[in-house]
Amino acid sequence: MDKKKLNAKDFINIGIFTVIYFVMFFIAGVLGYIPIFAVLIPLVLGILGGIPFMLFLAKTGKFGAATIMAALNGVLCFLMGQSWISIPFGIVFGLLADLIFQAGKYKSWKHIAAGYCVFTEWVIGSMLPMWIMRDVFFETYRKQGGTEEYINAVMSLTDNWMLPVVIVLGIIGGAIGAFLGRAVLKKHFAKAGIV
Amino acid sequence: METKEVNTGMPRQGLWLDPRTKLYLLAIFSIVMIDGKTEGISFWLKPALAVIPFLLLLSGRKRKAAFAYLVMFAASWGINLLLVPHLGSVAMMIVSLLAQLGTRWFPSAMMGYYLFSTTKVSEFVLAMEKMHLPQAFIIPFSVMFRFFPTVREEAASIGNAMKMRGITGRGVLKNPTAMLEYRLVPLLMSVVTIGNDLSAAALTRGLGKEGKRTSVCNIGFRLWDYLFMILVTLVLALFLALS
Repeated sequence: MDKKKLNAKDFINIGIFTVIYFVMFFIAGVLGYIPIFAVLIPLVLGILGGIPFMLFLAKTGKFGAATIMAALNGVLCFLMGQSWISIPFGIVFGLLADLIFQAGKYKSWKHIAAGYCVFTEWVIGSMLPMWIMRDVFFETYRKQGGTEEYINAVMSLTDNWMLPVVIVLGIIGGAIGAFLGRAVLKKHFAKAGIV
Repeated sequence: METKEVNTGMPRQGLWLDPRTKLYLLAIFSIVMIDGKTEGISFWLKPALAVIPFLLLLSGRKRKAAFAYLVMFAASWGINLLLVPHLGSVAMMIVSLLAQLGTRWFPSAMMGYYLFSTTKVSEFVLAMEKMHLPQAFIIPFSVMFRFFPTVREEAASIGNAMKMRGITGRGVLKNPTAMLEYRLVPLLMSVVTIGNDLSAAALTRGLGKEGKRTSVCNIGFRLWDYLFMILVTLVLALFLALS
């Protein structure tokens, strides 16, 4: 069997770990229903997803695995009724992450941590409609007689400066998750002989 | 877990749509419904589109879900139109947010639910093969379908085991990392083992083999598929042209 290319066993692993990762995303996403906490989604997702993702990387460790996982996340978001925008976001950030991993040959810890931070950013895709739809949203409210106070309150929460904040939070969450994942991997999985 | 019926090639009960049609409907929904407008042409188009999941769910014998959806959507729509302009700022913020969720996201979510609950995994796989998606995508996807219930069961058993040791949900605030470790590590352990078993089983059945695969399912576009596709395409065209 070709060692470098993904085989059927890897595909099955991708499917399995995507499920676990997506459950983590779901837990993080519950926060999104509280408007102020929605910006924290990338942070929480990065932390929660760290352990499964590090194990996933240790199990597959080939080019393309992260891309497929991120794309599947986007597709699942779409199937759950979110915008299709998550799919291209998933593919792009998954591919970027894969390229970073590849640069470190899937072994270098620095590359793995950096790649995971980038991977976490796919979640912006599922949050993006918040910004794109904002203008339409508020225009409608103004016409329907919505009060300025309310508009300003929500406007400030979804202001343009929030986008970099979300990106930075994703990187922080990714870094914490990567360290957490490595620690747990060493503590449990290496000992049990799973990795 | 509910039992899966075996596909015998017998004519199916109720309205049967090709999985690709369902995907297409979902795509249109996520374009038209997610936008927040309730005036102009949207005022007519959105309720018209929103009725589709209701009818489909009814035909798929998901009566409870269908009516729950209908009530939720009608309530959210009504609140958006009638109530929101007359509310104070804080109450309005909460109510309108919920109503927005109800009108924007709920119909698409119900389409997704319809897709998942009325499509067999093998039908879905065949549809994806017909769409010329790569195996690298199809295999993980079909594994996922099978794995969501498994993960839920495993997580529930681990939750029970942890309860016996006194590690319950209340501990989350006291020690979040330990909580994550005690729940996630056993789950991952068992999932990796199940995954290995699954790979072995699938490989012996020729999953890794090159070439075209056959399927017991029989999918294809029929009259209803074309009708639904034309209908939602018209809605999309109207929506894009007039709003």
